[in-house]
Amino acid sequence: MSEAATVRPARERPARSDLVGTLVLAAVGAVATVMGIGYGVFDDGQVGPGFLPTVTGAFILLASLAEIARMYLAAPRVDTGGLLAAAESAEKAAAEVTTEERDVFGRTARQRGRAILLVFGTMLGALLLVQVIGLLLSLGVMVLAITLGVERKPLLISVLTTAGAVGAAYLIFIVGLGVPTPTGALGLI
Amino acid sequence: MLENLQLGLETALTPTNLLWCFVGVFLGTVIGLLPGLGSATGVAILLPVTLAMEPITALTMLAGIYYGSQYGASTSSILLATPGDSSSVVLTLDGYQMARNGRAGAALAISAISSFIASIVTLVGLLLLAQPIAAFALNFGPPENLAIILLGLATIVTFAGKNVLRGIIMAAVGLLISMVGIAAGFPTARFTFGSVNLLSGLEFVAVMIGLFALGEVLHQIHRGGEKPIRASFRDLLLTREELRRSVAPTFRGAGLGFGLGVLPGAGATLASFMSYGLEGRVGRHRRKLGSGTVEGVAGPEASNNAAANASFIPTLSLGIPGSGTTAILLGAFVIFGLQPGPLLFEQHPALVWGLLVSFFFGNLLLLVLNLPMAPVFAQLLRLPYSYLYPLILFLGFIGAFAVGNNMFTLYVVFAAGALGYLMKRFDFPVAPLVLGLVLGPLLERALNQTSSMGGGNLLIVFQRPIAATFVAAAVLAFVAPPLMKEIGRRRALRRAADRPDNEEIDA
Repeated sequence: MSEAATVRPARERPARSDLVGTLVLAAVGAVATVMGIGYGVFDDGQVGPGFLPTVTGAFILLASLAEIARMYLAAPRVDTGGLLAAAESAEKAAAEVTTEERDVFGRTARQRGRAILLVFGTMLGALLLVQVIGLLLSLGVMVLAITLGVERKPLLISVLTTAGAVGAAYLIFIVGLGVPTPTGALGLI
Repeated sequence: MLENLQLGLETALTPTNLLWCFVGVFLGTVIGLLPGLGSATGVAILLPVTLAMEPITALTMLAGIYYGSQYGASTSSILLATPGDSSSVVLTLDGYQMARNGRAGAALAISAISSFIASIVTLVGLLLLAQPIAAFALNFGPPENLAIILLGLATIVTFAGKNVLRGIIMAAVGLLISMVGIAAGFPTARFTFGSVNLLSGLEFVAVMIGLFALGEVLHQIHRGGEKPIRASFRDLLLTREELRRSVAPTFRGAGLGFGLGVLPGAGATLASFMSYGLEGRVGRHRRKLGSGTVEGVAGPEASNNAAANASFIPTLSLGIPGSGTTAILLGAFVIFGLQPGPLLFEQHPALVWGLLVSFFFGNLLLLVLNLPMAPVFAQLLRLPYSYLYPLILFLGFIGAFAVGNNMFTLYVVFAAGALGYLMKRFDFPVAPLVLGLVLGPLLERALNQTSSMGGGNLLIVFQRPIAATFVAAAVLAFVAPPLMKEIGRRRALRRAADRPDNEEIDA
């Protein structure tokens, strides 16, 4: 066995999230290709409305499959000493999730995961509320719900923050820019 | 040249434009400073606020946010090890280490001075190069435009980061998203799934706000954070040795940043990474890099600012964005009824030269603001994120509504936010997607026109020397980096094999 072979680092297994994400992209590419063909790739011998969607979709499909193949077959990463090597390690370190038990916001990793779901839910709830109480008020409710319900901040400061946000948005967007924000069934602002 | 400069000075020095330039750089500093915002987010969420302004005033302010945020982002990288913007990621190495070594103020001062010097040096290049490139581009027909957009896409994917293939895929996804709605030049509705709301396509600003503002906020909640390091006014005083050591890396960084910034699709992040790598190769204290060296701060900082300025060359003169944020700025031009590209210099000279000259005053204001005030700005890092992010979400939604004027826009923001969060969480690069989204309509128009010109034969691109050169460069940009990487990898393996300690492993 050659010396080079003996120092070759072990190949890493691809992360499941990488695999699933890339498979989703491959599916998107496949759907786009089929739909693109349906729009008509050529039109009177010229490029048709489906040309670019077909080419792009096929490209995404092939590139995603190549990416999956790369995950399993590519040679393991080695430090090539290139210009980007040191910076890449810095980027990786910066991108890493804080692994400490509690972060600076006082939350554990599990609590952070729950907070994200709650924020998503609150945003969606606020959008659904627009029909009832209007855009500004429903976004105000969103701010209040997040500061009070998700972040557990004191009531007075949360209310003041919300009132400040609604007031500033009213002055900038409604009075200043004349944006016709929906007022909902309530019809206030 | 002097006439243009004079026109630019007259435009940039009006009290209104100066005021909004100040507002822009101030807000940019604050935005760059706060983790979870960044220049792209800042420009995206504040773009709707500028709708009632004159285009030159609005663009001066938005550009001020862009380069102002480069300054602010460095502060949070140095004091918090949390970059406010991707272009300041590298500063978390030596900048943060300097802060931990008790030289936080010096690191902030080096960052501000090297940024300023680099900005001014590259500004001269910008003033000299932007118009000749635009004048040259006036000769371009559809095949040349098609070729240069392909080059833009190729350089985007080349510089996508660690995973080039993933960058390519995301750029293509961006192209696909740009195709939603009625196809240009055809009566066909694409990817609308029967929805009337999708016929006019997805609102660009809404997608940007979702991807950047919502996506980043949620990612920050996921990441957690670190406590900032304090910096005081007294610490800002540099030693003579520190100042001397910062000179060469600043100019090296400025040169490298300018060269990379001019390339469509490259941008400030890559420039800062490359500059750090360059300091690791040629810097006098290269062995100490990573332990808090002046070179590790001055080089990347100069480089990212130089690239931020230089990225306006392809944006203004060719209509091809140089980075994610300039892609959003390009969208802002379109919202104001302006089409960036070679004709912009002929049709709106006051706007172009006014904008370019405003960079000088903006950078001057930034130096005056940041050099003595960095510790004051740093206090903003103590602003609880728990209050800040609900306000970012609020501003994002209301801003998107101001541009789209319908409820559907808000659902687009929400969906794009979910996508942006998942992309960041699972390490899929957002910038190539944005650039694909911006270049999509331009690519399709150039493609259709080239097809008409060639009677359906797209190969006419190769019959025109300029277009063929751009296509060759695009192919090279596409093929060369993976090839170089593989060569480097094989060399590294060979070097490792030749090392004596490996003999023990064999044994």
